[in-house]
Amino acid sequence: MTRVVVDREVCMSAGVCEMEAPEVFELDADGVLQVGEPTDLAAVETAVRACPTGALTLVDED
Amino acid sequence: MSSPTLDLDTVDLSDRTFWGAPPEQRHAVYDQLRRERPFAFFAEPVIPYIEPGPGYHAVTRYADVEAISCQPALFSSGSGAVSIADMPPDLNEFYGSLISMDDPRHGKIRRIVAKAFTPRVLEKLVGNVQAVADDVVARARRTAEDGDGTIDVVADLAAPIPLRVICDMMGIPDADRAMVLQQSNVILSGGDPELVQDAEQMVTAFLEAGEELAGLMARLAAERHAHPADDLTTALVSTEVDGERLTRQEIASFFILLLVAGNETTRNAISQGVLALSEHPAERDRWAADPGLTRTAVEEVVRWTSPITWMRRTATQDVELSGQSFPAGSKFLLFYGAANRDPAVFPDPHRFDLCRDPNPHVGFGSRGPHFCLGAHLARREIGVAFRAFADHLPDLEVVGPPARLESSFVNGLKRLPARLTGAR
Repeated sequence: MTRVVVDREVCMSAGVCEMEAPEVFELDADGVLQVGEPTDLAAVETAVRACPTGALTLVDED
Repeated sequence: MSSPTLDLDTVDLSDRTFWGAPPEQRHAVYDQLRRERPFAFFAEPVIPYIEPGPGYHAVTRYADVEAISCQPALFSSGSGAVSIADMPPDLNEFYGSLISMDDPRHGKIRRIVAKAFTPRVLEKLVGNVQAVADDVVARARRTAEDGDGTIDVVADLAAPIPLRVICDMMGIPDADRAMVLQQSNVILSGGDPELVQDAEQMVTAFLEAGEELAGLMARLAAERHAHPADDLTTALVSTEVDGERLTRQEIASFFILLLVAGNETTRNAISQGVLALSEHPAERDRWAADPGLTRTAVEEVVRWTSPITWMRRTATQDVELSGQSFPAGSKFLLFYGAANRDPAVFPDPHRFDLCRDPNPHVGFGSRGPHFCLGAHLARREIGVAFRAFADHLPDLEVVGPPARLESSFVNGLKRLPARLTGAR
């Protein structure tokens, strides 16, 4: 199964991922990125590509 | 765009009047620079009382803009991202705030302020943006009806929407808003003679404008300390990250950044978006008929207008770009409007296409830690504004050429004459 890994050192809380896939990504009240199950994989891939700081990676786990 | 070949040796991107000319001219120059001199070198513009620096490279290819932006350790913002000359450090920090800062400090402050700009926080503002846009549009209609049917797209439509939204967000009293508009105009004038009459006094004018805004901020911050309110200023004075608060200086310069950046950029996207739609009536009609187009249309307006012409980066060590070597200390101006018309990335780049998708423009900056903090807000404002124009001002007609700001940094309009034909 696929999951999203966030590099917390690099994430700037720009929120671009949340615009692309709001059902998976959410910046909480403290501006910290919360990631849910990557349901819509196409949207998640777009979000990962769109991240301005390259903080997101998709990893496949069996 | 098929334009005759120019003599690039006669082109000077440091000449302010170059930027006052119609955009076709700059795009012809961008196209040729991108093809023939992708790192063209220019001498720095002369600013009274500021030591002229060694010159800069104009970066016009999308791939190079991206490569520089996404390697902040090699290409620093800390020696100044918003001026070509190295400003004295205190000035640099005061006016540039986050924009002219590197990590780790940049990251610390950016995370503090980012939580006020998340998509969900801004979602709550939609009603507010809509109400502001509706009111601005109604006032413009009255202005036309009470007068001879004409309005100024800049003063009557494009300026008041972002000004009122950002001032509402920050809790700035109505009485201070005219001053905010005036002083942010001066700070981003690029020395345009209409806004800074005496070139000798350019630096003084910037300083005075900054002082006035900082004075307003100090007053407001003190008020919010005593009486917290539901606004961004309260969030800024009370937020902590890892137990640290922003210093008074950091708050003051961030406040100026928000006011200036939040006003000028969106205003110029809106005014030049109106101009672009008037020049492309089929696209205007398509958007008016189909609100579903708004998502891609907003991106195309930002790509097309590229309201910020460049940001600067400075090499922290000897670097290589596309096989060329540059010594440490080299300055690079990232010309976003040029990258946004790069045929290597955008098919038919000089076509204004509201359905363009994908549209990976760099109008909000390229990949990297300095990606525009206000991108979501700007998108929202532009989308809401153009829907309001389509719904309530279908008779809006541009009737004269725009007055362009003579600034290399901000791609802006000072005036755009228009008429509401139904008003008369």
